[in-house]
Order: sequence, then C-alpha cells, then structure tokens
Amino acid sequence: MGFFDNLLLQLDEDITGLFGQWNVYTSLIVTLFVGLLTYQIFTRRDPDTHPLLLARQAQASPVRNEGESPVYRSQSAPHGMPLNTGLNVKDLGASKWARGRDGDLRDIWRQAIAGVQDEGPAKGKTGRILTVLGTEHVTDHALDDITRQINLIGQHISDQGGNRVVIYLPNSVELIATLFACAFYNMTAIILPFDQPDDAVISMLRRSAADTVVTAPGSFPFDIVVKNYPSLRQLVWVVDEGSKHMDWNEVPQGTGGSVNVSTWQDIITDSPVDAGKVLPPLEGQKEPRDVTIFWQSKPGTVEEMVRFTAANLVSAIASQIFTLPTAQRMGPEDLFLPADSLANTHTLVLTLAALYSNASVAFNSVAPKANDLAVATRGIAPTILVTTPEALLKTHRETSSALTSVIARNLHWLQTRDLTQYGVMPAASLVTGWYDRLRPAITAKPGKLRLIFAAERVGAGTPRLSSTTISDLRIYTGARIMYALTSAKVAGAAAQTGFYDYRVFNDECSHFGPPLTSTEIMLRDTAEHKTTDALSKGEIIVRGPCVAGDEVALGVVGVMRDDNTLAYV
Amino acid sequence: MDYVEQRMAQEAAKPAGGASDSLFTPLNLALLGLFLYTTYTLLLKPSPPAALPKEEPAIVFRTFTPRTLLPYNGENNMPVYLAVRGRVFDVTRGRNFYGPGGPYANFAGRDASRGLACGSFDEEMLTKDLDGPLDTLADLGRDEMEALQGWEDRFSEKYLVVGKLLPVGEEDKA
Repeated sequence: MGFFDNLLLQLDEDITGLFGQWNVYTSLIVTLFVGLLTYQIFTRRDPDTHPLLLARQAQASPVRNEGESPVYRSQSAPHGMPLNTGLNVKDLGASKWARGRDGDLRDIWRQAIAGVQDEGPAKGKTGRILTVLGTEHVTDHALDDITRQINLIGQHISDQGGNRVVIYLPNSVELIATLFACAFYNMTAIILPFDQPDDAVISMLRRSAADTVVTAPGSFPFDIVVKNYPSLRQLVWVVDEGSKHMDWNEVPQGTGGSVNVSTWQDIITDSPVDAGKVLPPLEGQKEPRDVTIFWQSKPGTVEEMVRFTAANLVSAIASQIFTLPTAQRMGPEDLFLPADSLANTHTLVLTLAALYSNASVAFNSVAPKANDLAVATRGIAPTILVTTPEALLKTHRETSSALTSVIARNLHWLQTRDLTQYGVMPAASLVTGWYDRLRPAITAKPGKLRLIFAAERVGAGTPRLSSTTISDLRIYTGARIMYALTSAKVAGAAAQTGFYDYRVFNDECSHFGPPLTSTEIMLRDTAEHKTTDALSKGEIIVRGPCVAGDEVALGVVGVMRDDNTLAYV
Repeated sequence: MDYVEQRMAQEAAKPAGGASDSLFTPLNLALLGLFLYTTYTLLLKPSPPAALPKEEPAIVFRTFTPRTLLPYNGENNMPVYLAVRGRVFDVTRGRNFYGPGGPYANFAGRDASRGLACGSFDEEMLTKDLDGPLDTLADLGRDEMEALQGWEDRFSEKYLVVGKLLPVGEEDKA
C-alpha cells in the first residue's frame, strides 16, 4: 500500500472514531443547533430602513463662511433646490402636471371637508372631528356643522367690526373653528396660551392690540379686562352644555358698556338653518392674514409674541407631512390627538397637518394640563399623539418601576436589541404577550398607537429626553417616537428625529435629527464654541420659509454629530 | 468494494455500547463550542450603529486678491481656482481643462472674465498688474457680455463658488 492509501485509511478510521462517539448528548446539541438556525431564519426581519440612511441624515453645504459651520439641509431638500414652501394645492380643473399653490389655512379646511383626493380605495374619505368630555363621553361633530360654525362666527365677528381676534380657549373644536373663521373672513387670529394669570392675559391683549376675544367663561377675567383694556370691542363666550341656559349676553352693571357680548351658541342657533353652509369662494379671496402666537418660556417671564405669516405656517405643515415616509403618512384611518396645548406651534402645525391629511382629530381640553399619557388618552384611542416630554418622562418612570422582575427585564433587553441592533420595531409575539400587561394604560381599543410626537422647547426648561429613555418608551408604547427641537420664531419644528431612527447613544439629551424640509440649519461661532474642519458647533441658526423673519438665532449652542444630526452641546 | 466490506466487518466486530455516554467527548465538545459561538455571534454580540466615513470638511469661503489667487493654479498639488467677475470658482474637477497643460491653463489662478468674454485663451487677456484695480470689462460689447454670462451660468451650475476676488487694498471691504 502506498503512502496515500495509508493516509486515507487513517482518515477513515479517525472520522469513524469521532462519530462513533455519538451519543444522546450529541443528538441534543445538534437538535438545539438546528433549532437555533431555524429560529434565526424564520424570525429574521429586514431593518425598517437602510442603516446607512441613518448614518448621514443631513447634507452639509460644500462651502462655508468663516466663523460659521456649513449649512445643513434635509436629504430630501438638497442644496440648490428651494426649501419646501407649501402644500402644493391643486385647484379643481388645474393641469395635473402643473405645480400647485402653496396654499394657506383656508385650503386646509377645504381639504379636510373635501376628503382624500388621490385615486384609490380611500378616495373621498374624510376624517372625523371628536371632542372628549370627561372619561367616557365622546362627541362626534359633523364636518358640515363645523363649516357652518366657521362661516357664522366669522361673519358675526367681522360684521361687528372685529379685526384682531384673540382666541383664549383650551384645546377644542371652537379654537380650531375660530382660527379658520379668521382665515376665511380676513381677520388676524391671535392664539393665547390658555389658563394664564389675569395680568398676563391683559398684557398679552395689550401687546397684540386685540379688539375681539373668543373665550370660555370662568377662565377669562372679564371685569378686570374691561377696566384695564378699554380697546376691547367684542366678546364671544363659548359656553358649555351645562350652563347654556344662563343669560351670558347680559353685561354686568357698570362694567364694559361698550363691549358687545354674545355667545357662540346663540350666534349659531339664532341664524337661519340654511345660513353659512357654504365657505367663501376660492376665486377673488383676499391675501391671507397673519397668525400671532405667544410663546411661553419659563413661568414668570414675559411671553414672546411672534407673528407668523400664512406662508410660514403652510411651509411648516407641508414639511411635517413630508417628513413621514410615504407608507406611513397620516390618513383617514388615523385618529390624531393633540395632548399638548394648541398654542404651541409644533402642536398646532401637526394638528393642521392631520386635518389636511384627512385624519380624524380628537380634542381633549384637559389633556395638555394633565401631562400624563393615561389621562390624556382616557376615553379615546388615538393612533397618533402629540405630547410633552414631561408626560413621556412620567410614563417612563411609572412603567420602568413596574418592570422589576427578571423575566420582564430580559424581555425588555430582547426588545431593545430588536430596535437598536436590528433596526426593527419589536413585533408582538407569544413571549411579549406576557410583557403587555406591564405596558402603560394608554390607548384602549380599537386604535393602535403608532406614532408619538414630542418637542424640546428652546429656553422653556422642558425636561430633556435621552435616547435610552426614548428607546424604552418605544417598547413600552409600541409606537415610534419623533423628538423635535422647537423655538418661538420657527413654526413647527427646526429639526426632528427620523421616523425610523431607533439608535441609542450614551447621552443625556437625545439628538434632534436632521433639519426638516422647510428649514436649514447653520451653527455660528461663539466665544467658546467654534466650528473647525473636524467638528461643526456653535449657536444654532435656523433659516427657511417656516421661520418668522426668515432667519433666527435660537440662543443655544448646538453641535452637528458625525451622522449629521443636531444635538445640544 | 473489498475495502468497504473489510471495514464493515471491522466495525461490526467492535463490542456494542463501546461509545462513551459522557457529555464531554471530543465530538460533543466541538459541537457545543460551535453552538455557543453561533449563539454569541447571532444573538449577543453587540454591533455599533452603521457609520459612514467622515465627510470632506467644507471649504471656507474667503476673499482673494489677484496676488493671493495666483498660487491656486493646480501646480504643486494646489486646487485650481479661477475668477469670473469677482467670483472665485473651484474648477479642480475640470483640471484637464483648467489645470497645468490644459487648453485653458492660462486662466488658472487668474481673473478669467475678459478671456471668457472674448473667447480667447491668450496671455494678453489677463490683467497684468496684480496689484492694480480689477478689470471692469467696460470696453466690451453686448455679444461679449452675453458670452461671459453664458460661461458664468455654466460655472455656477458645475462648480462651487469658494470666494470672491477683490483688488489689493480693498480686502477688508465686505
């Protein structure tokens, strides 16, 4: 026998010898191994978005000025192209291929009552408008009724000579209706943050030079205002069901003789049934008026008065619609709940975006004050929610303190791994079913909460959310979370984290994602923080069509991280 | 076939139950090792989020004078810049044309306005006096100005504006 024959014989004997050791444990190990591979193959999911899309989220301009960082823009609004200026409203009969108008607030309500325009199964569907009262009672408002209210209230206020209309109301249908009434009947709307001390209300009335107030009894200090603010001409009470029978039109003796007082309900019910059913026509309508908003920073400081043009607002609304991936845009299936004050432009802009997208919108007047997700969503099951970082932190605290057992912590670890390692939202499965009962009690049937918006307000002392907290909340709520950076002079948000960005970093305050399609961001050198070739940092400057006055310095120092997302230093 | 039969007989002759019942046979250890390693790489090993290489740092927009623009002619590994009506373009990507040895090499590092307007690439189109005022192009006709506009539009489309050109002594004026 030759050398090779010997070698082969040896090999044969060795292999036989090795597998001759096969025993019950071997079978066990092999079974486990095959099981593991099968499990991996069958449970494997593609990440929600390509990981490299998250690795560089904004475009830097190739040239920068001395003392400034490059200008950063969203990947969807490249340099050299105009930023997103409006809603691209296509009028009836206009060419299909022509560019639409930027539009204004009036187009939002027209779209809300017209229903979905795109071809498809949802064509013609409209959203619903709901009011949540207490814990159970939900009122459904017919869109035609709201259109009628918009017309009658707008007509009434403008007939009485109203021009600058202060809206001092909690989140409610009446707030939105008055805003649209102002838009349709050529008046300037001024939205005041609700539930302010008397002197703050008077100071805001003075600064805004208002002549009309739409408000609710009980929260508006009528006597004091009449004494201290003689320019007030007109007052409309929005009276709730319970106190409708009282005579609100009567002005108390000796006060405010010159003020014309009426109630919302009287204006509506005293008009003929057929009046106000049709909105003013599109043809020949006047230029849209501005909307003034008061930005509240810390309590005790003077509110900043900001005038947004209609163009500012529609640009912000369009960019918020655009920032969601096409398959995940808001639509008639969604129920949108603003659980933060509509006096914040971020909330207002998102609510208007939801109306424009024909999503259903629910109003809950106590939600913003509660700062608690469970309270805000009582009686209603939203699929999209705007809330405050405070409320999210509270939910996080409560839920994580319930998650103490070993099993719960391991499941939590598994789901975090899904998010951060694989880039997928954890799927519901048998294993996670056990975990479900620990979830916070938000969103009863039938809605499935899918998206939460929250915003950091520059200079307002909002608690900051770390990326770990946000990731935990994604697991607790089963919804995606978008965290935005907002400021007084920027309608909507300056920057907002991506829909599919689940990454976790070691940070105190999460990054704010890339600029939206309606903003560009630049960092200007300060004494301490300067941009170098290696790192962009400095005071955050925001420019774009959604910024009041086109450019604003936020007064805080930011840094562009390696993935071109904006963060605080 | 003989060999197979012979081996079969050999194995058959071995006493039954000769295999060890222990968990720690070499085969089990090897398979267990493989199993654990696969588990680790598939399930436990953390991977950092994907990252792209860092971007090229942005070019800082600056003010040139004819003299400071001069070195940017593509020689000695310098980028190729040229100026048109006060705007300095980075034409390094068109190095074959504007760089050393290219047909437009005369323009590199210089004010190319007059040459582009007149469609001439000769030396005498350039402003001789580097410390003097910039060429005002006042003596050019409409056709030439139109040609220049065409070039400028093309440049703005293709190349980056990286600075502005001011005559010596006026650099501080914004």
